Amino acid sequence: MRRFFAFVLILLASTAARATTVRVAVAISLKEAVTEIGKSFESDSGDKVEFTFGSSGQLQGQIKNGAELDLFISAANKQVDELTHDELVAAETRRVVAGNSLVLVVPADAKDAPSSFEALADPSVKRLATGEPKTVPAGQYTAQVLKKLGLTDKLADRLVYGANVRQVLGYVERGEVTAGIVYLTDAKESGDKVKVVATAAPDTHDPIVYPAVVIKASKQPDAAKRFLDYLGSEKARDVLTAKGFSAGADVPADKKP
Amino acid sequence: MTPIWSPLWLSLRIATVATTLTVAIGMPLAFWMSRRRQFAGRSLVEGVIMMPLVLPPTVVGYFIIMALGARGWGGQWLFKLTGYSIIFRFEGAVLAAVVVALPMFYMPAKAAFATVERELEDMARSLGANRLQMFWHVSIPLARRGLLSGLLLAFARALGEFGATIMVFGWQPKQITLPISIYADFEQNQLASATAAVVALSVVSLALIMAYNASSASRQD
Repeated sequence: MRRFFAFVLILLASTAARATTVRVAVAISLKEAVTEIGKSFESDSGDKVEFTFGSSGQLQGQIKNGAELDLFISAANKQVDELTHDELVAAETRRVVAGNSLVLVVPADAKDAPSSFEALADPSVKRLATGEPKTVPAGQYTAQVLKKLGLTDKLADRLVYGANVRQVLGYVERGEVTAGIVYLTDAKESGDKVKVVATAAPDTHDPIVYPAVVIKASKQPDAAKRFLDYLGSEKARDVLTAKGFSAGADVPADKKP
Repeated sequence: MTPIWSPLWLSLRIATVATTLTVAIGMPLAFWMSRRRQFAGRSLVEGVIMMPLVLPPTVVGYFIIMALGARGWGGQWLFKLTGYSIIFRFEGAVLAAVVVALPMFYMPAKAAFATVERELEDMARSLGANRLQMFWHVSIPLARRGLLSGLLLAFARALGEFGATIMVFGWQPKQITLPISIYADFEQNQLASATAAVVALSVVSLALIMAYNASSASRQD
């Protein structure tokens, strides 16, 4: 019996020690980057950080349902806007922690591949893979770029939709399409199977940003803010840029509600 | 509501070409297999023909991409020489449909040829017909009901093919088959828009199956 109490005490003690653990809900596309940043945060600060990964929409739902979380990093403004509207997040803490860009990729061994977005109109571009524009965020941004460049109608017959960015990348890797449009971060993960030939000009699409915000229900908002600040540090910047993201500070100021 | 005429037209074209090819390949094959008692590897050959009945169509899609894609075992040579790849093309959708439709035709066709009385074939031969004339003028007409049943089943299967087609033919907004248009509506979270496509496919499939039942029932008369 005494042993049992000792065991319970240890359990209690360990929970007390974990009180400074920051629980962060993160859009899955940032998984590798924040995991790395989290490790260096732990060794630098002594705080602990714990991640929950999912699609931004799923995580938004968890926060709405009262999941015990301290910080939310979304892959788009929409979810944070809605949570702000629902008064579930501390809006004054909101900031952009990373950005991404849209790139044109071609198979690594492609000959006379298009060298710019404008060149996609050329008849040598037989097929172009993009994310499906209604449900795939990268596809939405792509549709904006094509529209801005007046390519929507010209390319309509040559489009192939992917149900997600990885599928688009697969079509390019296997050489089944002349080119594809994906996030720079995904292109980097594909390694040497694809070649990035152009980056979409930032003024051709809405900014691709990853906003972070402290959750109102958090019992340790200060620790959450420490991690949020850390995401803007030089160390975090190095990790982010190595993976193809841009650091939050470098993202052009975007409109906030 | 998602418009169905252009997907319906594309699906009908794919299914028609695929069924024609299925019959062209399946008829001699079924005849030959019904006449040859045993040979080494017979069960393997039949197994390969029948396999798409039980395999997930995604496996068929995998094999087509791995074999004939621009980076495929055979496809890479064709692609390097000519820039041609069957992926995303009409021919690719037809090939996917043929693979899954072939067993649907093969089974009833083989059964039908097996019931043709051999004496009638032998008689044709003894009257001077060569094997091809015998096949064309005697065996096929005598097996016609079974062949028709198989043709109807093959067409129905080709028309409804989805799993291999979505992998091989992909999701091309301007070239979309009826089954893929339903999947597209699902992916875009507008499933209700798929109603017309669902009704069209259900009605056509039901009509084909009823025609199949009628053709196989009248065979027993």
